[in-house]
Amino acid sequence: MKFIATILTGIIMFSAYSQGIEKLNGNALFGDIQARHIGPALTSGRVSDIEGHPSDSKTIYIGTAGGGVWKSTDGGVRFASIFDKYCQSIGCVAVDPSDPDNTIWVGTGEVWTRNSTSVGDGIYKSNDGGANWKKMGLEKSDRISSIRIHPENSQVLYVGVQGALWGPSEERGVYKTTDGGVTWEKIFYVNENTGCSELIMDPKNPDVMYASFWEHRRTAWSFSSGGAFSALYKTTDGGKTWSKIHKGFPEGKFGRIAVALAPSNSNILYSVIEAEDKAKSGMYRSDDGGANWKHMNADFGLVVRPFYFSRIVVDPKDSDVVVKAGLFGSISRDGGNTFKNLGAMHPDIHDFWFDVNQSDKMFAATDGGLYRSLNGGNTMEMIENLPISQFYHISVDNQEPYNIYGGLQDNGSWFGPSSSPGGIEARDWEVIGVGDGFRVYPHPTEPHIMYSEMQGAEQVWRYDHKRRMTRTIQPFQGKDDPKLRFNWNAPITTSLNNPDRLYIGSQFVHVSDDKGTTWKKISPDLTTNDKAKQNQENSGGLSIDNSGAENHCTIFTIAESGLDQKVIWVGTDDGNVQVTEDGGQNWVNVTPNITGLPANTWCYHIEASAFNKGTAYAVFDGHTKNDMTAYCYKTTDFGKTWKSIVTDEVYGFARSFQEDYKNPDLLFLGTEFGLYVTLNGGGNWVKFENNMPATAVHYLEMHPKTNDLVMGTHGRGVIIIDDISPLRQITNDIITKELQFLEMNPFDINEESTFGGTSGEVQFVGRNPQGGAQIKYYLSKRHTFGKMTMRVLDSEGNYISSLSPGKKKGINIVNWNFGMAAPKVAKGKTISFSGFFTPTVPAGTYTVEVTKNKKKYTAEIEVKYADNSIFSSEEREQQRKVTMELYHMTEELAYMVHKIDAYVQHAEKSKSNPKLRKLATSLINELNELNNTLVITSGDNYVGQAEKQLRENMGSLFSTVGAYAGPPSSSQMENFKKIKAEMEVAKDTYTKIESSLLSKYLKMLEKLEVSPPKIDSYEEFTKKD
Amino acid sequence: MKKIFIGAVFILGSFIGQAQDSTQTVTVKTILDTYFENIGGREAWSKLTSYRFTAKVNAQGMEIPITVINQKDGKTMTKFSLQGQEMVQGSFDGESMWSTNFMTQKAEKSSSEDTENYKRSIGEFPDALLTYDSLGYQLELEGEETKEGVECYKLKMTKKKQLVEGEEKDNIVYYYFDKENFVPIMTEEQILSGEMTGKKSQMLYSDYQEISDGMYYPFSLTSQVEGIGGQTIEITEIEINVEIDQTMFNFPEN
Repeated sequence: MKFIATILTGIIMFSAYSQGIEKLNGNALFGDIQARHIGPALTSGRVSDIEGHPSDSKTIYIGTAGGGVWKSTDGGVRFASIFDKYCQSIGCVAVDPSDPDNTIWVGTGEVWTRNSTSVGDGIYKSNDGGANWKKMGLEKSDRISSIRIHPENSQVLYVGVQGALWGPSEERGVYKTTDGGVTWEKIFYVNENTGCSELIMDPKNPDVMYASFWEHRRTAWSFSSGGAFSALYKTTDGGKTWSKIHKGFPEGKFGRIAVALAPSNSNILYSVIEAEDKAKSGMYRSDDGGANWKHMNADFGLVVRPFYFSRIVVDPKDSDVVVKAGLFGSISRDGGNTFKNLGAMHPDIHDFWFDVNQSDKMFAATDGGLYRSLNGGNTMEMIENLPISQFYHISVDNQEPYNIYGGLQDNGSWFGPSSSPGGIEARDWEVIGVGDGFRVYPHPTEPHIMYSEMQGAEQVWRYDHKRRMTRTIQPFQGKDDPKLRFNWNAPITTSLNNPDRLYIGSQFVHVSDDKGTTWKKISPDLTTNDKAKQNQENSGGLSIDNSGAENHCTIFTIAESGLDQKVIWVGTDDGNVQVTEDGGQNWVNVTPNITGLPANTWCYHIEASAFNKGTAYAVFDGHTKNDMTAYCYKTTDFGKTWKSIVTDEVYGFARSFQEDYKNPDLLFLGTEFGLYVTLNGGGNWVKFENNMPATAVHYLEMHPKTNDLVMGTHGRGVIIIDDISPLRQITNDIITKELQFLEMNPFDINEESTFGGTSGEVQFVGRNPQGGAQIKYYLSKRHTFGKMTMRVLDSEGNYISSLSPGKKKGINIVNWNFGMAAPKVAKGKTISFSGFFTPTVPAGTYTVEVTKNKKKYTAEIEVKYADNSIFSSEEREQQRKVTMELYHMTEELAYMVHKIDAYVQHAEKSKSNPKLRKLATSLINELNELNNTLVITSGDNYVGQAEKQLRENMGSLFSTVGAYAGPPSSSQMENFKKIKAEMEVAKDTYTKIESSLLSKYLKMLEKLEVSPPKIDSYEEFTKKD
Repeated sequence: MKKIFIGAVFILGSFIGQAQDSTQTVTVKTILDTYFENIGGREAWSKLTSYRFTAKVNAQGMEIPITVINQKDGKTMTKFSLQGQEMVQGSFDGESMWSTNFMTQKAEKSSSEDTENYKRSIGEFPDALLTYDSLGYQLELEGEETKEGVECYKLKMTKKKQLVEGEEKDNIVYYYFDKENFVPIMTEEQILSGEMTGKKSQMLYSDYQEISDGMYYPFSLTSQVEGIGGQTIEITEIEINVEIDQTMFNFPEN
């Protein structure tokens, strides 16, 4: 039976080999290709919910708008992401009061329903404090506002589902489970347009709950808050029956309603209502469990933007202290009669958390991250390690290292480097735009010139970074022009063909050939120009909200072909794709040629192919029509025909796309739930999950020199996948080989030496790319049994260094820092730190040799000096000659000390032999006297260190000369002469001892038939392989 | 058994060992039964009283020799050598954990919390997978997950609680068993203190080789945090049931 099982397994393995790349899952394909996160965290991003442990105030969770769930166990100083694999848009987090260390629930789908908010996909549960998660249903809930857990029964939960933002939904309402989330029952439903925006439970009586229901709807061009069905309800029987509790509320329709209960007194409730009568909007208080309400306050802080700020939190210890979310955040210490603003922090506050033991300590969730106060909200301190920034768009320049430019939701425009000494820190980022930031570009050939914008192109800036000069450059409405309609996220783009060219789209395409100083229109209105979608001044519902976020019938994406500047593609937010082949004289609306795409689906991105000017890819986003399907089409004939290249493997609607520059079948698609890759032109897609969270990828860019894929994510900042070139080489043939080295371009030796960064452990630092040579190979099976090793040899087969090989199935990348093996260093009382220095190899051809059980695999790699290196070959040769002389001298010294130690040790034992005692003592004395000049023989590794001896001085010169790629200084050369002379003296002294006392000692041993010490040969002693 | 291993390694280019009967329901028991059968049998492993690893860490050209000694009674020592100077990390003499301070090169006792946490793990010899039941640990089959490109069974082991800054915290380790050959290729646990708190530390196991009559052990151990920053210990020799001078575990009075 076992034999049969063995054979069966063999057959299964064989069939695994015979499968093609379309059968590989992401983990088995991408291997060591990892995403790295570079933030920034100094801006952070929108935090939507805060939840704490009921008794341990050091444990705090935050839910974010697009960056998942983060947990702190040190009272909110450091946070770690705990929800990377799942939907990153969070409505709420809940901690089970019966099992608060382990059982955590997350409801996905942010409930602060701005135009750019993402979507959720259900409710999740962790049984181990957030280490592992399982989806527990409510997949179509879209947005979960509240999770309330029975205080004594972990199996009983009530969930408030706010539901779909962009369309009707029957999933809304209050749900109940009595089996820990295995099954759900909808226990309260109003209608398909009215969802539960808040559900709270009386902690002393879980049968008592309050639910606010909100009638609302967003479209791409409007927002509506309020209606006849918005209401506040109460149940006293665990959700069986619900009744409206409006006594004291004004007449008329309501919009969004917030409600909170004072934990210290369950009869005291606060509510903030959006009412038809503006004078009666704002805060209400009830002292009898909602039976009667009294209007307290209609100040700005209480009525501002209800859709965004309907959250009240009451101090757990004092029922008169209440905080209200808002533009600045407000606090009342007199039961809601009067309010004052909280201390200065990033505007747009969404939630609060009071420390359960000490109410003066509190947290605030804002559009710009999480803030902490230790003095009751007077002073707010930003948490600096939450890289949850929300990019709308990014671009890159051609500098080395290249920079990334991008605009953030409510956090301006920025640029920062792709690598920096010690990692990418907050100080590396520079602000180049205010307001909300969107498209940001560097001038293609003058990198000190940068373009940025704020919402609705109210300001478009050309910033001269060198001269610190800003000029506003957006096109204005001319005498004969209609009003220009710019999208909230208005498209700007530069040209691959003309460095001074700049495009911007309103309903027209505007082009400038002088960096935005003068503009001309090169198109008619390319949108549908549907007047019914242009009434933004009436948008908002009960509270007018005309921020520009709903501007519609606008151009959203412009792509000039890199192969022909007269070919320009345009996509509009109302679903048009237009193309010109003559620089704008004639435009063709090719939208009707796209089959399978619902009408008026937002064209989010068009990518002009690098291979053929008639080829382009168009990505459409239907989520603002409540359509969560991914749409991506390809044309090869200027839009006359289109083919869908999306498969069912893609989860979530798509916004971004990138074509590889070398392999036309290697494509990348950014969706609301992460990144997908195809190796076969869209035949099948694989999700990329290596350190890549399921965050919304709003923009993709590939760096043409480094082959890095750079992502602007809307919740996890800039994420980079360094050098995707290995993916170009993965074929059905390669994946059948046991081990296949991938092609590797020559590697540049990095001659930089820096002092690192300055950030502390509570500040986020973005990871740098790996330096050195990246040795890449594909393994068709993981290496688990038998020995596998890796060595680097020079062109003559000499051993250079050993490396630890990667063994995973898929692409393995092993980093080599161009170092040779460290020299053997003499043994002393202390450590010679310079003895850890490994000299850099010279440029040349090297062999990488992998031994896998009995098989050997080799690949040659080229190592070269960077083109911009400042050193000549003569200078390098000088450096290398001295370095290697010192390397060998270090080993000679080590060998001498090795012999001295061995003879001293032997002689010490011989002292017990009367015939040897005198000779042994003399030998020990002479050898020790010499040894004391060679190495430190006393002290410690810190300030108790003894006077440096030859080993330390030699090591110091070795590491300092070796660490700088240029020639040694004259002072170093003088010191080199001194060290060499001292070494010669030492060798002479040793030789003298060897020929006199030692020789006598050995002869005496022979005579007495005592075994001499066993001394390795020099070759044996210095052997490293 | 040995022949099966050799055949697997050198003929098919991979290990097959004893695979599960595909009709059998996979449980913790069937996974562990197959695992122990493949690595030499529970009985052989239960007879171990001590073992000594000789290993090296290679960090970009710098090679550090390491010796690890573990005894059934919980005494342990990890010793590494730098330029001939020996440094001890995490030695336990039955009462105290201690390590060499790198600066002074003198022995210092670990915090009482670290010592207590180590004491709670005594009995996981030679491995918790062998003794978990007698220690009262829970082991559950959590599901399947792909790790290292390999489809794995995911097992959750709940050990005795650990002290973290004075508080009792759950101590959970996840094991990932390769579905093809039923050996663990990765363990994973959450970091509970320090700068990396909340992240997952992982240990990769590979290069399984025979150490003694049919007993197999992974000779390559790589530690990393969520797939990043791998540092490998390459074992060169494993000796079992060796004579060990018991005084070496003792905290040296400086």
